[in-house]
Amino acid sequence: MLSKRPHKNVNTLIMEEIKDVKSCLIGFESFMRAAVTPQTVHETLVTLSDGVCDAEAAADGSLRRMIDSLSNTAFLPATRSELIDIATGCDRVANKCEHTAKMIVLQRFRFPEEFNDDVMKILSITHEQFEILEQSISSLFSDFSDLLKDHSILDEIRAHETQVDIIETTLYERIFTRDTPLAEKTQTAHFVELLCDLSDIIENLADKIQIMLITRKA
Amino acid sequence: MWIYLLLFAGLFMGWSLGTNDAANAFGTAVATRVISFRTAIIIIAVLVIIGALFLGYQNITEVAGLATNNEVMASEEDVEDAEEKGTMADLRLKSALKAAIIFACAGLTVFVMSFLKFPVSANQSITGAIIGWGLCYADYSNPAVLDVNLPQIGKFAATWLLNPLGAGIISFCLVFVFKKLFEKKLSSLAAYDKLVKIGYLIAGAFASFSIGMNSSANVTALYYDATGKGANLLTDARLTATIGGIAIAIGVLTFSKRVMMTVGGSIAEISQVDGFLVIIAMALTVVIMGNWMGIPVSTSQAVVGAVIGAGLVGGVKNVHFGVFKRIAIAWVSSPTVAGLLAYGVAFCTRGYFGA
Repeated sequence: MLSKRPHKNVNTLIMEEIKDVKSCLIGFESFMRAAVTPQTVHETLVTLSDGVCDAEAAADGSLRRMIDSLSNTAFLPATRSELIDIATGCDRVANKCEHTAKMIVLQRFRFPEEFNDDVMKILSITHEQFEILEQSISSLFSDFSDLLKDHSILDEIRAHETQVDIIETTLYERIFTRDTPLAEKTQTAHFVELLCDLSDIIENLADKIQIMLITRKA
Repeated sequence: MWIYLLLFAGLFMGWSLGTNDAANAFGTAVATRVISFRTAIIIIAVLVIIGALFLGYQNITEVAGLATNNEVMASEEDVEDAEEKGTMADLRLKSALKAAIIFACAGLTVFVMSFLKFPVSANQSITGAIIGWGLCYADYSNPAVLDVNLPQIGKFAATWLLNPLGAGIISFCLVFVFKKLFEKKLSSLAAYDKLVKIGYLIAGAFASFSIGMNSSANVTALYYDATGKGANLLTDARLTATIGGIAIAIGVLTFSKRVMMTVGGSIAEISQVDGFLVIIAMALTVVIMGNWMGIPVSTSQAVVGAVIGAGLVGGVKNVHFGVFKRIAIAWVSSPTVAGLLAYGVAFCTRGYFGA
């Protein structure tokens, strides 16, 4: 009934997956930095995009290993399901990075230069946000009682998402008041949306963690 | 020997108690898959029988006393009278028949109330039916009768308040102490999960024991021969309680899954830790109240009190007071309906049993 198997394996595997997703996010940030630099040639973008895809594949592998290992642990079924939700949620961040990089390469899309700073700002906030998420997931396995008592760290994640939202709205306004064809506006807005989705996914994960904590508080 | 067939009315009541009360012990744990159904029913079945065997007999004599005072079971005078007239066999048959009628009234109440979707307590229905029967036969012109009946009814009604109140206080203390002393020691999610598993096992086992102790008397006490002169079917109190425990255990083993999943699922909203602390509080209350008051108390009432007590730790805002209305209906309606039914049957059969 009570498995004596250590949980270290699952903890390590889930943190490894998160590290792989973070590598993918960092790779994507580098890709975008190159994409917003006018001098970057297409081949460089292709190479960087391939790097993002490789990181995403590594994250996928870690996710599968983590899910496989869960069946051999003493975690309660509900906890297993929640951990899988969190791990797959993190994987969605990597998937989104991969998809966006691929689309930018395939469509040979470049953001108008005037938006570059905001685009990079979105990514920098998202990166910070992901690091806070990583910290809170790590706390589930090491400082659970502290996290149970005070989960304001999750509010920080939400605050980051709000910042991204504000930039997103401003960007849309600027995109649709530009004197360019509607197709181009729509395409640019679509890529802004893809970038901002990363922050939304991370915020959703913070919500899931909060629900885990609330349902466990006596 | 065919007279022993009348035992089946009580055993059937025990079986139905088993199918329902198991949910109070392990419902949440099974519904949330903390404990497997198979493990749960084995623990319940074994501990219900142990509870009945070791402590259930105390309630047997109490319930038998209540039934004797209410003319359901034969008194010493009835036995002496029957011995003089040579009608012991008739007395024995009548005692067993009356027991079967009481179970039929209680069973019908549980069935109809459940069908109408009212919350219901099987334990309270049986006690209500016994008192209802007694009220029909009471000689109200004799003050001595009221001296016997009123304290009984008062004691019974007092459990409506004391049982949930006691469970609420115990549950409040358990949750409060846990929050203050133990919650901060949960270093990881794994530690939390381990605590929940162990907690549910201990709580479920203890609750099963308390159900065996508390409810077994209701199942077979009316067949117990308190006079020791062959006026009823079963002569040994411990054996009587154990037979009741076995009937409950069979109910648990054969037909409890659906109720367990339904009840467990619907109360799974509270946290897992609160969940097992509430069950421990319920079991403690049932054991303490059962011993103190000397009559079987409602496990459902105790659960409600315990849930409210656990909720109060987080403040009054955490308690849904609207639920009281529904629960109050169950507290009053189960014994009242069963009592009225038993009163009606007693009235209609006065010609036979009163003779």
